[in-house]
Amino acid sequence: MNPDPKTMPDPSAMISVRNLSKLYKDFIALDRISFDVQRGEKIVVLGPSGSGKSTLIRCFNRIEPHDSGILSIDGKIINAQTDLTQLRATVGLVFQNYNLFPHLSVLDNCTLAPRLVKKTPRADAAEMAMRFLQQVNIAEQANKYPIQLSGGQQQRVAIARALCMQPEVMLFDEPTAALDPEAISGVVGIMNDLAQQGITTLCVTHEMGFARHIADRIIFMDKGRILEITPPAEFFTTPKTQRARDFLDQMISY
Amino acid sequence: MTHSMAQFMRRCSSRFRPRVLAAALAGVLAIAGSAQAAEPDLPGFIHDGTLTICTNPTLPPMTFVNGNDVNAVDGIDMDIAHRLADYWHVSMVVTTMDFTGLFPSLAAQRCSMVASGIIKLPEREKNFDAVSYQDTALVVVARAGTPPLSSMADLSGKTVAVQSGTSYSARLAKENETLVQAGRAPIIIQQYPTEDQVVQQVLIGRVFAFASQDVELYYRQEQLHGKVSVILVPPYPEYGHFALYIRKNAHDRELLDQAIATMGQNGQMAAIQKKWAISPDVAKALANTSPAPMFRWDTFFSALTSTAFMRGAFITLAVAVLSHFTAIMISIPMALALNGRDSLLKMALKGYVSVFRGAPTLLQLLFIWNALPQFLPIFREAWFTPFLATWLSLSINESAYQVEINRAALGAVDKGQELAGDALAMSRRQVYRHVIFPQALRIALPPTINEFISLLKTTSLASVISLQELLAVTQIQVARTFEFTEYYAAALVYYLAMVFFFLFLQKRVERRFAWADRHKATANES
Repeated sequence: MNPDPKTMPDPSAMISVRNLSKLYKDFIALDRISFDVQRGEKIVVLGPSGSGKSTLIRCFNRIEPHDSGILSIDGKIINAQTDLTQLRATVGLVFQNYNLFPHLSVLDNCTLAPRLVKKTPRADAAEMAMRFLQQVNIAEQANKYPIQLSGGQQQRVAIARALCMQPEVMLFDEPTAALDPEAISGVVGIMNDLAQQGITTLCVTHEMGFARHIADRIIFMDKGRILEITPPAEFFTTPKTQRARDFLDQMISY
Repeated sequence: MTHSMAQFMRRCSSRFRPRVLAAALAGVLAIAGSAQAAEPDLPGFIHDGTLTICTNPTLPPMTFVNGNDVNAVDGIDMDIAHRLADYWHVSMVVTTMDFTGLFPSLAAQRCSMVASGIIKLPEREKNFDAVSYQDTALVVVARAGTPPLSSMADLSGKTVAVQSGTSYSARLAKENETLVQAGRAPIIIQQYPTEDQVVQQVLIGRVFAFASQDVELYYRQEQLHGKVSVILVPPYPEYGHFALYIRKNAHDRELLDQAIATMGQNGQMAAIQKKWAISPDVAKALANTSPAPMFRWDTFFSALTSTAFMRGAFITLAVAVLSHFTAIMISIPMALALNGRDSLLKMALKGYVSVFRGAPTLLQLLFIWNALPQFLPIFREAWFTPFLATWLSLSINESAYQVEINRAALGAVDKGQELAGDALAMSRRQVYRHVIFPQALRIALPPTINEFISLLKTTSLASVISLQELLAVTQIQVARTFEFTEYYAAALVYYLAMVFFFLFLQKRVERRFAWADRHKATANES
């Protein structure tokens, strides 16, 4: 299942990683990670906290630059010379804390980057934003400020904002971790819809329902290494490693 | 007129005789020397055909603002300067400033000559050349009704006010040495920056007496409504002459001597003395004065609506707005650098902030105006006006404070905001311009407005480098009229009006930050 780390990255894959490592001083956050993500694939990254899940997906839009190994996105090698504007327009990221711009209305949150980065005319940007806001069921709040919205609503706006850049890959960094159960179902519902539309998705989450039913594959990480990459049916019924079994036991008892 | 005043008049009458003998002698020599030359030799202190006079126009009748136009300096000194300019066929320019700034400005070559009712003193002649033009005497003045004293020793233990920067305090200190040696209490000396404040201390009864020149007292009689009288004319021969001061140059001194002598000879000097009524017969006419009302509303309102006050307020506002704007522009990149990684630049900036927050603003103003030209001659040229100097010093000074506000405001914006901007493919510049700065602005605004209001009032320090801002205008008018309360009240109205305007502006701007407050945001939206 795992690609051979010694091979070159697969140019036809959406994301291809070979021996990717990342250090924080002397702490190894990512330890020689190798895998491919095909176009339209939905990957859920699981693992205990501190296992490097967030660091891994943040490498894909170079918010966290990797230290060694090869990373290729959409067939292009990502390194210090990469045009970050182009990379980040291709790879969208949704944060755990939403990170909406508090000084801008919901609509302006969505139109700011397309207008500045892609030079989309204001009217076109607004029209597209309204379409995505409708898709995340929040169009009626378009003129409010983030502070006036609930956490779940804010996270849905954040998803719409990322979609407005029309990315080919969506990264979700624990998108439901700060939400109450009711809000979670709303956000997970949106993510389900997106998954159906065929956008390549990587999601770090503890939301087992999403992992079980939507993911094509589960990546299980611990201590900066990938321990398992398997379809969810396999992962949830017959995990190969003891670490994964312990993790699942904890999840269920919790 | 009080008894003591009359006595004083008698004693002084002989002192006001112009120096006819010396003048005649010098005049004869001058005529003989030049053999009726049409053009007198030009002294070296005249540049580009202009005689530049430095003066502190708060000493009537020698030099003062005689009306509402603060730029029109009048008085005996100015008349003499005009005659000198005529004599040399050059034009004349007057630069006004605080008394303490006069000699530094002369040294910095900002003016040709100091003409500001200054006594000829050997200590001053060590550094500058002096040419006397008017006889005078030191007088000790107290409230009307105070019995006259027989000697300076009678001032033992009493408080005496003098103008700072003048030589009176040194003279009184010498008197104190004698007193202390004799086992008596010394005279308590209080120093004030302007002559009118010195007089006011006696009027309000805070001090027993003040030291001044007789010539000035003649002029003051009218304003003071007989409230003061001379209690002593100490026998100080060294206080016998007013002098014009120039930078040391024997030839220039000789030429100036000749010019003054010629004026004494051809009657110009006598005409000036007559015009300014520095003779005892005029003083008699002033004796019949009525008591002044507590508050003259007409003075207050005419000050309030005068172009002088409006211009002063405008200069105050302009220099404050420009300085703060410049300070903010400098301090934003400074704050970004200080929030960044350690570097040599960051260390240098920390030093900059420490120095300019540590040094008093007044000192910085004086340094830039008086010391800088000694290192960089370009700063003594005419383009470097008091306005520019104030703008420069206050910008630098204010940026050191503003940088701390900016640093805190930038640091208070959630780090996730920058991350979100990055993730949306925005450039560094776009992230700062559209995401970080608008949020930092909300945090920085209240302390920044606070700083601005403080700066608006700090501009009043610039009167020491002769900027005609609101407080300088006020002081000049007070020196002319002695109507303290009225002019202070008018200045207060202007300052308050300006401050309230900016507080109002702050409220208006803060309404645009409704996004930060859930309740306000809701209210706005509906």
